[in-house]
Amino acid sequence: MSQQFSRRDFLKLAGVGAATTAILTGCGPASRYVKREPYMQMPEYNYNGQSTYYATTCRECAAGCGLIVRTMQGRALKTEGNANNPLNLGKTCARGQATLQGLYNPNRVQGPIKHGRGERLYDTFSNPYNDDIKNAPSNMSWDEATQAVADALKNNKPDEIAFLMGMAPDHLFDLVTDLANATGINAPVRFGALPMFEARATLTKAAGNLFGEARLPFFDVGGAQVVLSFGANFLETWISPVSYTRGFAGLREAQSKQRGKFIQLEARMSSTAAKADEWIPLRPGTEALVALAIGRLASELKGGPMPRAFASVDPLDAASRSGVKLATLQYIAGFFAGANGALAIPGGSALGQSNGLTVAEAVLALNAVADNFGKPGGVYFSPFAPNQTTYQSPASAKEMQDFIQKMADGKFKVLFVHGVNPVFELPASLGFKEALKGVGQVISFAIFPDETATESDYVFPDHHGLESWWYQRVATGSNQPVLSGAQPVVSPYYDTRATVDVLIAAAQLAGGAFATALPFKDEVEFLQSKIAPLMAETDGLFSAPEINTFMAYFQQYGGWWKASDGRGVPGTADVLSRNLDAAEAEFAGEGEFFLFPFVSPALAEAGANKPWLQELPDSTTTVMWNSWVETARELGLEDDDVVKIVSDAGELEVPVYRYPAIRPDTIAIPFGQGHTAYGRYAEKRGANPADLLIPHFNEAGDLAFAGVKVKIEKTGRKQPLSRLESIMGVYGVGLGEEQ
Amino acid sequence: MIRPDEVKMSAEETGKWGMVIDQDICTGCQACVAACAMENNISFVGEVDAGYGRSMHWIRIERFWEGEYPEVKMTSNQPMLCQQCGHANCEPVCPAFATVHSQAEQLNLQIYNRCVGTRYCANNCPYQVRSFNWRDYARPEPLSNQLNPDVTVRRRGVMEKCTFCIQRIHKAQDKAKSEGREVMDGEFTTACAQACPANAIVFGRVDDPESLVSQLARRSHGVKHLEELGTLPNVTYFKGG
Repeated sequence: MSQQFSRRDFLKLAGVGAATTAILTGCGPASRYVKREPYMQMPEYNYNGQSTYYATTCRECAAGCGLIVRTMQGRALKTEGNANNPLNLGKTCARGQATLQGLYNPNRVQGPIKHGRGERLYDTFSNPYNDDIKNAPSNMSWDEATQAVADALKNNKPDEIAFLMGMAPDHLFDLVTDLANATGINAPVRFGALPMFEARATLTKAAGNLFGEARLPFFDVGGAQVVLSFGANFLETWISPVSYTRGFAGLREAQSKQRGKFIQLEARMSSTAAKADEWIPLRPGTEALVALAIGRLASELKGGPMPRAFASVDPLDAASRSGVKLATLQYIAGFFAGANGALAIPGGSALGQSNGLTVAEAVLALNAVADNFGKPGGVYFSPFAPNQTTYQSPASAKEMQDFIQKMADGKFKVLFVHGVNPVFELPASLGFKEALKGVGQVISFAIFPDETATESDYVFPDHHGLESWWYQRVATGSNQPVLSGAQPVVSPYYDTRATVDVLIAAAQLAGGAFATALPFKDEVEFLQSKIAPLMAETDGLFSAPEINTFMAYFQQYGGWWKASDGRGVPGTADVLSRNLDAAEAEFAGEGEFFLFPFVSPALAEAGANKPWLQELPDSTTTVMWNSWVETARELGLEDDDVVKIVSDAGELEVPVYRYPAIRPDTIAIPFGQGHTAYGRYAEKRGANPADLLIPHFNEAGDLAFAGVKVKIEKTGRKQPLSRLESIMGVYGVGLGEEQ
Repeated sequence: MIRPDEVKMSAEETGKWGMVIDQDICTGCQACVAACAMENNISFVGEVDAGYGRSMHWIRIERFWEGEYPEVKMTSNQPMLCQQCGHANCEPVCPAFATVHSQAEQLNLQIYNRCVGTRYCANNCPYQVRSFNWRDYARPEPLSNQLNPDVTVRRRGVMEKCTFCIQRIHKAQDKAKSEGREVMDGEFTTACAQACPANAIVFGRVDDPESLVSQLARRSHGVKHLEELGTLPNVTYFKGG
């Protein structure tokens, strides 16, 4: 170095070097529009000590609530609701709050991995709070990964390629749908445990049968005076809990009307039922009878000819078989007879029965008696999202059974899995894990080392939701048609890659019809092509003459929604003239107890790996970090007794929580624990009630998950449950004794 | 005994923050609990310590049972947090002056670097809302990335409790001051109130009669818990049903 080289020059050069490095590392395809700067060149909005806020969308469940994420110096610090988003109006649930514990989870898949099926993706451990639990290292490059996907697309016949995806109707679903339409590969199948436990297919099929349109109904809880819910746990996980909770608050505290009444019928008091004025523990399987009896009594009170729908039921018989007093049925019928603003909601355990479709139709028919269709406080159709024209139904359990059969029969040579964990979420008796043996190659895009990723040949991790671009159609919960939009709020923490980018690149490598189907440079270009048609709409939140400005607004507001009410009014012509069969549900299996599986509100299907969600007390039992079985007090069991629950499909062991509000012939187990992988906080914890479920379906193809009978066997062991409430117990047992 | 209605607010008590919680619409969904933990860098303690009652919740949802099956009822969910008492039982017992009353915000402060862990304050709190760091709880990397830089991370041997999100109060006050105005009602709120999907929690200035929280607190069915102890709590509850 012969030239004069001052200290100042050196610092300048070093600065440029540092800046270049930082910019280059930030220039992955996913962060195309996220400019990373070294601290010495901070943009004006990003001072030291000042936060930057980004609008995005929550990916913890498929509701699609808008988020505002606070970031500072490239770290995400806190998620809040996006007050602009009409779905959640600035609110979040506990799962949305804990999103960051997924983003910064110590067990994430950190890069593309090829491994043997069943090989663990992180160390075995004895103490989940240990720092030294290593994740499986990435053992291939993204170029190799993309080539593997391209080979999988190219080297198999189109009908041997299948995609199994999560519930969210997002841009990836649209991309794969476009790919399927253009190349003849199987159309993507969407599945999730939540719609299975909501019996969503039953609800939409009932709407189709009654109203002529199989769409998701929207129940205007906030505008009603009396809400009668058959098992719909809409304050916990049911379809769109944040939105329905807002509706519930409206029911209770509206200034312009009386405090609304809420009645819930189900065998076990859920935390939704705990908020009801009346909880009515009816005998499982008699929901249709009860709904029809209420309809008949209400029609009698109203006068006029008896509708055919209610003709076959005898209220006295219904009362004796359901265990609900006739006077109670008459009392409820009174609300539906006149203009009292009554609303009936079918959902959850009431529909997860062998006759669930009849239950759904009978309960929806009560709304016809109350004449509330398309009226405030009544039943509507949920609006379609802005870029949606038909209802996009997730797969029912029966459809999943057919899918699994095809896997087992070797019909699929390649299976791509994204956004869903079927090995955990589907009942073991459906045999998904075993059927994987029939699939030549399984490629998972999981962000966490879950059970399905463990059983895959390749794991090509997608970005976490907070590192991703996407949009999502909001299925229900708002009057307005909403398309929630998402943008990366932090740059990817690990060597992950957007699945859409991987597929676009792989399609180019595969060539032929694949390449022409996805002629995009990257994910953002694809996203823009999908939202560009919205620029022509006049009724929107914003508009712009060209796509870059439109996209900037889309990011700024966290999506795009119409100003107008997009709800549909159900057609009512055929509602009361159908023959509804007043029979009881049939139960599968031997045993003296009805099994009542319910979704843990905090954990649900994918929350178990977030430590703070584990430490949130269950809102009815206050149990933390474990599973339990709720039994009635009379059974002679003590708290913390470990019992074995046996069904025809399987068995599991779980400690007892003696629950004050459950029928003596029913036992309840939360769904959410019992992972055999999925990171240190989820694994080796509790039991999965899906292991007990028997393949037994209703007419809409939903699993009759609440239609199973089981036996209880004592094991003689004890396992103390960690609970927030005093361990002296809810009955005062142990009071005065030493703890 | 001091009866709350006899106590007149003195001049130096301006700047008083308070909260109204509507138990009738609280669904017990725990969103506030999660939001509080995320905002305030609260440690999770794991299954065993949680079983010993050492979990660090600054806010918890209480519920009780009434009656026997089938006439059993769960009482309205009751979010319980530090009531920021005007006459706080925790304050006079601290030998290290770690539990002091703030004249500026009219809150009960917990000064972590003064706390020597005698736990007298928790012993004396009638609401049982103080939690003690029995250990240095693990926060495996990279979980620490989400730590809020505005809130001190506590370590073993230190007592902690709800602060009414004092970091948010100060931020809003600083912003208002720099813009030459007063903090507006509803300009900011605590993490629990911000998350609550039912809007059951309302936070604001109780010394401003026009604020939403003051208007709500004046409703006839508002109650203050254990006010017979003369603690002058700053949280008003609407009972359910």
